Amino acid sequence: MLKTMVIEPVRAFNGLDVLVARDEGLFAAAGLDLQFARPQPNDLRSTAEGTLANPVTNQGRLLERGEARMFQG
Amino acid sequence: MVVCGALVVPPWSSVYTPQDLSNRLVALDFGNGTAYAGLQMLEGAVPRQAIRTCSFDTSPAKRYTALMAGEFEATVLQEPWITVAEKAGCRLVSTTFFYGSWVADATVDADTYAAFIRASTAAVGRINADKRRYLPYFTREYQGYSEVDALTPDDFNLGRIQVKAPEPIPEADARWDWEWMSSWGLLRGAFEAEAQLNAAVQQAAHTGLQGIAALATSSCRSE
Repeated sequence: MLKTMVIEPVRAFNGLDVLVARDEGLFAAAGLDLQFARPQPNDLRSTAEGTLANPVTNQGRLLERGEARMFQG
Repeated sequence: MVVCGALVVPPWSSVYTPQDLSNRLVALDFGNGTAYAGLQMLEGAVPRQAIRTCSFDTSPAKRYTALMAGEFEATVLQEPWITVAEKAGCRLVSTTFFYGSWVADATVDADTYAAFIRASTAAVGRINADKRRYLPYFTREYQGYSEVDALTPDDFNLGRIQVKAPEPIPEADARWDWEWMSSWGLLRGAFEAEAQLNAAVQQAAHTGLQGIAALATSSCRSE
């Protein structure tokens, strides 16, 4: 039986291995049902709203809400 | 995963070296790793007080478009936008690589994380065996952008696409990262290894040990 784990979405530049592993069935082969959380439109704030001292990031937001268990930082 | 970030200037820029960016406006997506890679490239070349930055959008597509519109003098891009910029005649005045780190909540146990690592490691092997085969992953995310749609596999520098099997984060590296972030005022307080790294789970997952209970209180990071 596969274990399920939901993670925050990744892109190729920072998560190519994860995308390939998902598409080629490597997570399933390892016993994992890996799923990507789906951010809501209002989850996606622009980093332009932040500053060096007070950055705005979307990373970790879904984890904080309990909708994902890992994110790529 | 190893991320490539490039400090890019438009074709008409008088900037040829990172030092030339002294007191010139560089757009960064603060809050993301690419922004901090940009800061590190700049501070390797000019005094901190000569670094001028502005916050800009997370999307490298938007940063590239604004760069070409002259809204600032340089920005940091990642693939496939580094390749787009090069193809348009932009110059890469500095290029760097950095690790993306996985941050896990306290419910991720060693068995689950070990499975994640096994799959990721297998994928790394496949990608390194034939990077060209996996280039569409970079372009399909930006389908509809004419600059990306025009890219061919020959446009890419495969040396900028680096993947590596996950490994535990060395405590010394985590400490250095913390202290560097603190030096920019982004973190406060002393680095506490136990609060940042769950060495037991990392070790168990990476060595394939089974049966470790769920993480107790701290998170687990791995590169």
